[in-house]
Order: sequence, then C-alpha cells, then structure tokens
Amino acid sequence: MALLEVENLSVGYGTRRGYLRAVEQVSFSVEEGRSLGFVGESGCGKTTIGMALLGLLPSNGRVVGGRIIFEGEDLLKKGEEEMRKIRWNKISMIFQAAMNALNPVQRVQDQIVEAILTHNPDMQKEKALERVAHLFHLVGIPEQRMKDYPHQYSGGMKQRAIIAMALSCNPRLVIADEPTTALDVIVQHQILEETKHLQRELNLSIIFISHDISIAADVCDEMGIMYAGQLVECGSTQEVFSSPRHPYTRALLASYPTLTGGRRDLAPIPGETCNLISPPSGCRFCDRCPGAMGTCMSETLTWMEITPTHRVLCFHCGKG
Amino acid sequence: MPTWTRGFDINIMRKKRDRRHIRLQERFHWIALLQEGWSIYRRNLLGRIGMVLLALFGIMALCSFIPPMIDPMYHPMTGVDPDIPSTTGPCVKHWLGTDYMGRDLLSQLLAGARVAFMVGVSAAFMSIFLGTAIGMIAGYMGKILDTLLMRLADVIMVMPTLLVVLILSSLFGQLNIWTIVLIIALFRWPGVSRVIRAQTLSLKQRPFIDAARVAGASHLRIIFRHIMPNVLPLSFLYMTFRVTSAIIIEAALAFLGFGDPGTVSWGMMLQWVWKTGNMFKALYWLLPPGICISLITLSFYMLGRAMDEVLDPRLREEEQAG
Amino acid sequence: MKNTDPPILKLENVSKIFGIKGSLFSRTRKKVTALNRISLSLYHGEIFGLVGESGSGKTTAGRLIVGLDRPEEGSIFLDGLEITDLKSREWRNHRRRVQMIFQDPYQSLNPQLSIFESISEPLIIHKVGDGEERRTRVKEALKMVGLSPPEDFMYRYPHQLSGGQRQRVAISRAMVLEPELLIADEPTSMLDASYSAQIFNILLELRNTFSVTILFVTHSLAAARYLCDRIAVIYRGSLMESGPADQVIGNPKHPYTQALIDALPKFGQSGKVKRYETLLKVERKVSEPVGCSFFIRCNKAHEGRCRLEIPPLKATGPDHFAACFYV
Repeated sequence: MALLEVENLSVGYGTRRGYLRAVEQVSFSVEEGRSLGFVGESGCGKTTIGMALLGLLPSNGRVVGGRIIFEGEDLLKKGEEEMRKIRWNKISMIFQAAMNALNPVQRVQDQIVEAILTHNPDMQKEKALERVAHLFHLVGIPEQRMKDYPHQYSGGMKQRAIIAMALSCNPRLVIADEPTTALDVIVQHQILEETKHLQRELNLSIIFISHDISIAADVCDEMGIMYAGQLVECGSTQEVFSSPRHPYTRALLASYPTLTGGRRDLAPIPGETCNLISPPSGCRFCDRCPGAMGTCMSETLTWMEITPTHRVLCFHCGKG
Repeated sequence: MPTWTRGFDINIMRKKRDRRHIRLQERFHWIALLQEGWSIYRRNLLGRIGMVLLALFGIMALCSFIPPMIDPMYHPMTGVDPDIPSTTGPCVKHWLGTDYMGRDLLSQLLAGARVAFMVGVSAAFMSIFLGTAIGMIAGYMGKILDTLLMRLADVIMVMPTLLVVLILSSLFGQLNIWTIVLIIALFRWPGVSRVIRAQTLSLKQRPFIDAARVAGASHLRIIFRHIMPNVLPLSFLYMTFRVTSAIIIEAALAFLGFGDPGTVSWGMMLQWVWKTGNMFKALYWLLPPGICISLITLSFYMLGRAMDEVLDPRLREEEQAG
Repeated sequence: MKNTDPPILKLENVSKIFGIKGSLFSRTRKKVTALNRISLSLYHGEIFGLVGESGSGKTTAGRLIVGLDRPEEGSIFLDGLEITDLKSREWRNHRRRVQMIFQDPYQSLNPQLSIFESISEPLIIHKVGDGEERRTRVKEALKMVGLSPPEDFMYRYPHQLSGGQRQRVAISRAMVLEPELLIADEPTSMLDASYSAQIFNILLELRNTFSVTILFVTHSLAAARYLCDRIAVIYRGSLMESGPADQVIGNPKHPYTQALIDALPKFGQSGKVKRYETLLKVERKVSEPVGCSFFIRCNKAHEGRCRLEIPPLKATGPDHFAACFYV
C-alpha cells in the first residue's frame, strides 16, 4: 500500500471576488522511499496541495472534497489535536522562503531542540541536542556552527538548517515547497544533491514542489504537472520528460532555454491563465491549447492511461 | 453592484472603441475604487456609527443659520430674550433653556457645531498640508535637509501646544479664532510629517521611482507625480485624527478663557457656565456642550478607524492574488 | 557580432565601493567592493549577457550605466562620450539613449498610474509630440510588445495585469523613447517560464527590428545562451570569463564558469554534458583574500600565485578571455 494516497482532492478559497477553485479533483499517490515532484507555474495550486495535506490552509481556505489517506487513515477526518501529532512527527514541511523563518534572536541549535521537544515532550534536552548534532552531520553543517545565530549562516547553510529541522522528528514524508528558490545556482545544486542522498539514506518519501521543471526532474522519481488547479499529467520522470503527452507539459518543456541542443527555438505559450473563480467546467487549458476542440471546455475530464505509470488528463492525448 | 453602474460593464467598453467611451473607462476606475472603498467601509460597525453621528452634527451645523432667521432673539451671541434676564431651564420658547444673559442655548449649541467643524477641518487640513509637504521633502531629499527638518519637527513636537497658545495670548491679548486655527496647525504638523516621511522613505526604494529617474524625471516631478499620490491616502487618514485634536484644543482654549470672545463654541459655552458659577446648578446648560464635544471627537475617531481598514495594504494584496 | 566600429558602450576599470557606516562608536567604515575594476565593451546591435550569481555586482553594473549610481573609479563611455561624472542636468540629454528594464514587474510600475500614463511619462518629460502623437506612440509601443489591441490595456492599472503583462509594459515604457542601449536587469527572474519565454522573444525581436543594443543581466546561463551573442561571467565584482556565447558555454575555460555549468540541472538535456568538477568540497580558510576572488573555492588553484595575485584577463581564443593563470 502506498504511504500516501490522495483521491479527488478539491480545495477552494473564499475571497471577496468569489469562490476560488484552487485545486480541482487531484489524485496521486506516493510510495515509501519515493519522491514525487509537483511542477507548475504560480497560481496552479501546488502550494495549496502541500498545505492541505498538513491541514495548514489559511482561514479562508477549505477542502471541499476528496480523501487524503496517510498510512491507511484519512487525514481529513482527523481533528486538530490528532493532526498536531502527525505534523512534524510523521509529515513535515519545508515552506517557501523558509530560511527567513529562522528566529534571528535564538541560536540555531536551540530552535531545532525546541522543535524536537515540542513534538516529543518526554525527551531529555541532552538527547535532543545529540539528535541535533546527528542531524547537522547528516545535512552537512560543521558541528562547531551549532551554537551560531542565523545571521551568521550563509543562505545555503540556513536552508540546510531548515532541512535539519524538518527531519528532526524522523518523519516519513517531507513536503518541500520551493526549497531552493532563493539560493544561488551552485548552492542550489549542492542542496539538491544532498536531498537525494538523504532520501536514499533515510528511506524518506518526498513531495517536491517547484516551478522549475528541470530542478524537480533532477530530484524526483515521479512527476506531476499542474495547471490551474488540475493535475494534467502524472508519471515517472523519465516518461514525462521524454514523451510528454499533455499539450501544457509539452509547451512548458518548450519554454525552458537549454544549455545544449538547438538555440532559438523557445516557444512561449500564448494567452493567459484562466480565471479560477469561474473556470471552464472541463479542461482549463483549453483556450491556450493548440489542439483544442470545441468540446474540451465543457466535457468532464477523465484520466487516459498511456502506460501503467503514466497518465494524462486529456481526451486527445491518450491515443497515439 | 447598484443598477446605475451596470451600464458601465467593461466588456461593453471593449466592443465600443469610441473616444467617449474610453474616457468613461478612465473615470470608471475612480468610481470602482471609491465603490470598493465604500463597501469595505460600510461593513465596519464603527464606521457606520461614526458616519451617522457626523451626519447629525453636520445637520446641526447647517441648521445653525435657522434660529436667528426665525427671530433675532435666537441669535447665539447677541440674541437676548427680553422676558428672561437670567439662566432658565428648558421651556417651550427655548428648547434647551437660556444662559446667564438670556441667550438661547440651542442656537448656541448649533453654532458651536458649526465652529467645531470649521476649526477642526481647517486646522486639520492646514497641518496635514504642511506635514505632508515637509515629510515628503525630508524623506525624498534626505541628508542635511532631512536632518534639519526632522530636528525642527522634534523641537515643535515637544512643545505643549496649549501652553504656547496661552503664553501667546497673554502676550498679545485675545486671539482671533483663525489665529488659533493657524497656531494649532503650526504645532500639529510634526506628527504627520514623521509618518509621511517614513512612507516616502519606503517608496523611494521602490523600482518605479528608479524607473522614473531613468526616464529622466526631475526630483520635483517624482515628488508630485509618483510619491504624492501614494502618500495622500495616508494623509487623509491622519486628517481625521488631527480633527479631533484640533477640536479639543480649541475647546480647551475657550474653556480656559483664551478663545475668541466673538465666536460661540462649545468650549466657550463651558467657560460661561463655569465663570458664572452655574456649573452644578444648571445641568441643562453644562451637559449639552460637554456631550457634544465628546461625541464629535468620538465620531471622527471612528471614521478614522474605519478608513484605516479601507486603506490597509493587506486588502490590496488580496486583489493581486485573486 | 563584433565589428570594427567603436563600441556603443565601454566600461574602463570601473569600480564601485559601498561604504556601510559603522556604529556611532566605531572608527572604521566597513567597505563592500561591489565592482572591482571591470572593463567591458558592447557593440552596436548585439545582445550581451552579464551572467553572475547574487552579490556578483551585475545589477550594480547596470545601475552605473544608466546613471542611478556613480562609480568610485574608472570611466564609462556611451558612444565615445564620457558619462561617468555627469551632473543630473547633463544626464537628461543621454536619457533618451539608454533605458532600463527592472527585475520586479510588480514594483516597477507606479500603482497609481494607468498604463497609458506610465508609458507616456518619458515622452512628457522629454517633451516629445503633443497629446495626439503621444497617444499614437503609446499604442505603437504596446503593439511592439504584443499587447494588442492597445486600447484594451491603455486604461487599465498595473494590479489588473499579470506579471508577464506588466513586464511587457515596462519594456514598452523603456522603448517608447527609442533608445540605442537597453539594460535588462534580470527581467524574467520573477516570472514563470512561459512568460519568460515571451519576454525573451520580445527582446530578440526588438533587437532585430530596431537594432537596439541590449545588456542582458541574468543569473541563468541557459537564458544567456538562448538570447545573447556574447557573454561575460562575473563573480564577486570581477570578470571571470568573456567571449561568444557558444564558446563560453560549450568550451568554458575559467573554473568558475565550469562550476556554474556543472551546477545546472541536466535532466532532459539532449546529449551527455561534460562535468568539470572545479569546486572544492570544503572552502579554503583564508584570512586576507587579496588575489583571485575564486581562490577559496577553486580546486585548480595554486596556493602561491592565486592567493596573492589577481589574474588578468588572458586570451584563450579569438575574442575569448578568461581571468585565470592556468588556462
């Protein structure tokens, strides 16, 4: 059985302008020790999924449908107390721009110790410190830097500290939301390499959320492409990259400049994202899709299987 | 949306490309902004109460012209009822009673409302004008000018307004109401200028200011075209707070006997009650002006709090993401 | 695209030092050298990429060129004329020739001005045409960046547009005066990939149609490769390598460029890409860095020379230079 199985998850936000359908009928699963990447542009709902999994939606957001089954239990049916036991202990999250989340007036080791003790009140402080030392070694921060304050750390080290904090209570699943966006190219590469290394060593499952498809592809075993709240394509990284089926996936891949291969062939996607307050009932990519038929906008979408591990949310892409 | 705006639907605008309709589209934006602001304001309970109270006082101020027209004996300053030589309670002829000279109290109260608005709004307006201009210049120009202006602001801020006016009037005799307004304005601008300066400093860092410089804009143009429009909403907000302090200062001055003797204000009414020893004897005379002062300041304060919510940038963020 | 004409933009040994004031009680002012004796030449009609990570000084270089800051040392020449020490009034004359696009499309447009007002502002400042002509020019400028029909956009406000659209408005504002030189400071780093691609293509089209020279400041080597004719790689205020884009990326000579290329995600790239492995696992501990700025991380560096001497730009091919002793 998969570690995490999400079925037909739908999330919406109440705004002054109306009800915003941020995530629409998204289904996916994450096996133990495997990583899944969610890729999409801003506003596609990937961060919302991450927050919904942990029950951390803001006050105007609510889950309006679906099930989130973690270790056999539906998380949506759990109350706040039970969710608190799961957060950090079983599922932890690295938020966007997390390095700014470090308290500037507290030593880094103290912050991690606090995280550990909050979720394991019975643990002794010495044991917690030992654990912190072990974690620092794991993520590659020299032990003598444990007592420093956050401002003494470089950007890459802060991010490593955040990763250490996320791993502090031995979670089985880590949700990483754009963990490397604010970092330089070289540091980013190092962090990604270490993430892969950690995943193998600790047999972690990771949900990696990013707007950059090449970063996600480097780290993840499986990929899910999101557009306007819908999961439009899902499969192993190899399959999605080498034979993308959905027109949006193809267009997305074609809009990234590459280091090798032909120059001068970037094809931007025409048009704008649809309005999430009153989206079309069918495919939301319709008005920008080169292969759109009149019916796409109104027909309910179903998954088309290309291989047992590769599926596409489009009538016309499944064939051939 | 109210029916009368339905005709300005933006899709219709797009289809008709006439110049006339494009102009309407420009105006439409302001209407849209005001409507949006109004709908936020309306939901705020304090704002609603404040609006109602202010409307009441506004009506009082407008009605202050009526009593003298009915009968000269109702004039707040000079109208003397020949039948009543001293202070009396409410009766049919005088709904609130009369003061020690036989003048009608209700007309005095109405005139006081007029004076409160005049003083409050003009003093506030002048101090905001000064404070905004000085704050923008100090924030934008920086360096020595900034230091000088802010030290000047500090010096003025620590001086107690009331005390200075008392000293001035003891030196120069009774002050005219407009002089008082001017002095209040001159002593009240530092608070505003600090806030406007802070706002200007943060605006100065924003790329659109750099973009204007790169386009070749002069400093003056940047201040008036780019900084001022972004700073004015804050100025208007502060104006509501300034009105309350202006009204209270004027009332206090009048009460202490340093107001303009030719103007009937609520503070002046309180002074007359006190001076003639009727403070605890004639409650019908004491209570109305006191309650009015409290209520009008309270209503301006509520107005300010509700406007705060309208202007809060957090609301603007929601617009962008939606 | 180098030709024998004089360069349209030339930087000669330009340095920019920021002094951070110490506290009231300390004597020393901490100094940060953002640019350390940079020399660059841009030729008419080319797209030149300035590639560097954050803190490399690339944005500072752009700001110096448009006159938002002044260099402490060195000279900047615009089409032969020295613009280093111009007073603001004298700068006016040059504003029409060099313009800038900023990184953050959400902050580079005044939220209180309509699109029409934002774009027509440079025209008003430089007293170009009357009301009717300005309207025509603004419409042309909007069409140039693909915001058609222009009437749909002219009277909207920035918060009603998406990030990609706002950036296009910023481009049309920069182009409305028909400048000869355009500095694009990371114009796509805050945009999604599909919008970035639009911006790249617009810049290419502008160069092809108007022969405007573009200095493209970026942290992405791949974007620079797509867009630029020549590239310069900058690290901690010094140029590490410069040359034609294909050469610098296909055959990098400087260890830092090689490290950058190693660090880029490779999945999905056609063909196997070579790894250079020029980065040290652990940085060297140096008390007073006076030599090559890349010394502490370079595993090809030699203790003696690299630590004490700053390597000059050495030619490693026609028009291809690298600042390293060991290429």
